[in-house]
Amino acid sequence: MTTTQQPSLAWLDDVTMTELERNPYPVYERLRAEAPLAFVPVLGAYVASTAEICREVATSDSFEAIIPPAGGRTFGHPAIIGVNGDVHADLRSMVEPALQPMEVDRYVDDLVRPIARTYLEKFEDAGKAELVADFCEPVSVRSLGDLLGLESVDSETLRRWFAQLNRSFTNAAVDENGEFANPEGFVEGDQAKAEIRAVVDPLIDEWITNPGDSAISHWLHDGMPEGETRDRDYIYPTIYVYLLGAMQEPGHGAASTLAGLFTKPEQLEEVVDDPTLIPRAVSEGMRWTSPIWSATARISKEPVTLAGHDLPAGTVILQSYGSANHDTGLYDAPSEFDLHRPPLPHLAFGAGNHACAGIYYANHVMRIALEELLEAIPNLERDTSEDVEFWGWGFRGPTTLHATWEV
Amino acid sequence: MPRVSVGSSSVEAPPGQSVLESLLRAGVWMPSSCNQGTCGTCKVTVLSGSVDHRDSPLETLPAEQRDAGLALACQSHPTCDVEVTPAGPTSARAGEARTHPLRDLTATITGIEDVARDTRKVLLALPEPLAFSAGQCVELEVPRTGERRQFSLANTATEDRVLELHVRLVEGGAATERWLFADAACGDEVRVTGPLGDFRAPEPEADDGGPMVLLGGGTGLAPLLGIVRTALERHPDREAVLYHGVRHAADLYDRERLVDLENRFAGFRFVPVLSREETRAYRTGYVTEAFLADVSSARGWTGWLCGSPALFESGAAAFKRRRMAPRLIHREKFTAAPATSSLTSPLTSTGA
Ligand code: HEM
Ligand code: FES
Repeated sequence: MTTTQQPSLAWLDDVTMTELERNPYPVYERLRAEAPLAFVPVLGAYVASTAEICREVATSDSFEAIIPPAGGRTFGHPAIIGVNGDVHADLRSMVEPALQPMEVDRYVDDLVRPIARTYLEKFEDAGKAELVADFCEPVSVRSLGDLLGLESVDSETLRRWFAQLNRSFTNAAVDENGEFANPEGFVEGDQAKAEIRAVVDPLIDEWITNPGDSAISHWLHDGMPEGETRDRDYIYPTIYVYLLGAMQEPGHGAASTLAGLFTKPEQLEEVVDDPTLIPRAVSEGMRWTSPIWSATARISKEPVTLAGHDLPAGTVILQSYGSANHDTGLYDAPSEFDLHRPPLPHLAFGAGNHACAGIYYANHVMRIALEELLEAIPNLERDTSEDVEFWGWGFRGPTTLHATWEV
Repeated sequence: MPRVSVGSSSVEAPPGQSVLESLLRAGVWMPSSCNQGTCGTCKVTVLSGSVDHRDSPLETLPAEQRDAGLALACQSHPTCDVEVTPAGPTSARAGEARTHPLRDLTATITGIEDVARDTRKVLLALPEPLAFSAGQCVELEVPRTGERRQFSLANTATEDRVLELHVRLVEGGAATERWLFADAACGDEVRVTGPLGDFRAPEPEADDGGPMVLLGGGTGLAPLLGIVRTALERHPDREAVLYHGVRHAADLYDRERLVDLENRFAGFRFVPVLSREETRAYRTGYVTEAFLADVSSARGWTGWLCGSPALFESGAAAFKRRRMAPRLIHREKFTAAPATSSLTSPLTSTGA
């Protein structure tokens, strides 16, 4: 087994996945202080934990993308997050048209606002709700589901799929031989994929002959010679990328923003009184608890010196954007949610040519969801009889968020 | 060094820094996400001056958008002083308010009347009509002092020839004790500047006739009179409740006018509330308490608050408690005189 290079980093040998999933911050805080680029045995890879190194790796010509092993096992090839060159360019050109700012401006309000209203109507007069399951996640999956052409799949199923894919994608632990430590952890991901194919295959059949307005129909046809479509096996890995991250993260982001605001009731009040502060709150929410905490990676194309390490070609580095966003070199008291902290750019959407393709769309989904929530329930408060727990290392957000209000 | 301005902030733009960077480094918030020109979150409209778009990608900022004055804050650099405003869709707000041109006029006092204890109604005739929205205010030049004071208008927009102000005596006040409650007389000329303020009745097309509640403390009644009469004339069947909070019965005024309004509009209710006097004729307590007691849900209502800072706080909290959407809550901080509302009583708990 490859252990840490320096004896002083022997503590890293004892780090477990369970510990990281429960709360990755203490380990990464120590990494940032002692070894901002370090080999972490349980992850079987190097980890970049500071903003500077994450940004350098993401934008350096000496690195390209690679999907982390458990992710590759879950999504297969060619997933947009793990390919480079022409294939990556083609997949970006496939997903980008629906996500371009001008295009998003055209549809996002009409898409998301009625969905947010529909879910609010179910509980706004109840005086209490669990905002993750009742609101943030359903609004996120229903909006993207309708955009993709998955109107026929109910929101509960979309939520279950992303959760199963998530646990499979982040089943990252490896043993001393670098083999997956929990191979059975991939089973639920495989089951989700089988279900997805059973639902999406017939839709693809239909869209091949009758192109529709849905995003996936466009993925099949756009940029292809007349009469040809992209092969379904070529687009499925990227469909899985969407059905995990793109479905899950706006929900995570909205819920984390609310959880953050609940830690500062006077800031929640400010945002309620002035909804134009919502984008700023969302931005801070995603810095505070980055939804894609550590799920993407890069690999060196050539020998490279980075943060004092001489790395051979083929070295995999896991990008820990959630840690980079708590870098004390940039942020005072980073573990505190603070709407008014100096507004520096964060790395919650990654960087470089693999940066998130859905930034603009996601920001507006979260904005509209929170606008509607706080408009309908301006007297929203955290239900202090319930705890707020966060979970996740690869992807992170509150597991539940109980709220109350007077009706 | 060029400067970059957005809203009320203006910062220096050192060479080599993008518009976004200059703003963020100076602590001024601007929507942004990728910082590399690809997401479009930082798109701004250049209101004045010009920018160099540098590496802004055409996919994010097509030529026609550049021609239309848009720019990416994270990529563009100012070439001179520039003023920008975020261009993305922000909160949907119905009916952007029209601005009426600010004017300087010389008015003539045509009425000064005691209407309640330490309270006067002052009428000012204008040489020509003034365009304003109900709820706005004007600034008067206090003779001999060069000082200026703002007073809310009690008028509707069609009452544009004679302005009606409600004035409460302030001890030692240059505008009140030493002028409007002293030697001011009919026939005197007064220099008036207006209209001012964003506390105003919505534009007709943005007014859907929905229910409304108005809480006024003391002479904070004035702009509410203009607003509620405008609202009722537009939609005679609408539901509207006006709470007027004062300390004692002797502080009440304009009751006949409000009762007359109740008689003409079935959906309108006027509720005077006394905070320091118990009587058979009037409610006792605070306007926010009265509202909370009377209205179990204010969802979809608009709310109007004019009075002391305590009234805004407790009024806005009470409105939200009854689930009124915050963007439908309008507040006018009293500018004319220190608060004299019902909410300064030591007996008060502000009801929130
Ligand atoms: C708050 C919500 C979201 C967050 C925080 C987020 C964050 C991220 C991050 C950190 C990456 C990896 C970047 C890197 O490795 O440098 C990524 C990739 C990606 N995201 Fe998002 N994302 C969100 C929502 C979405 C949505 C809603 C969509 C689509 C509708 C989307 C589409 C993508 C795509 C296609 C990629 C792969 C880009 C590539 O490898 O070229 N994301 N996202
Ligand atoms: S911040 Fe993304 S384009 Fe400027």
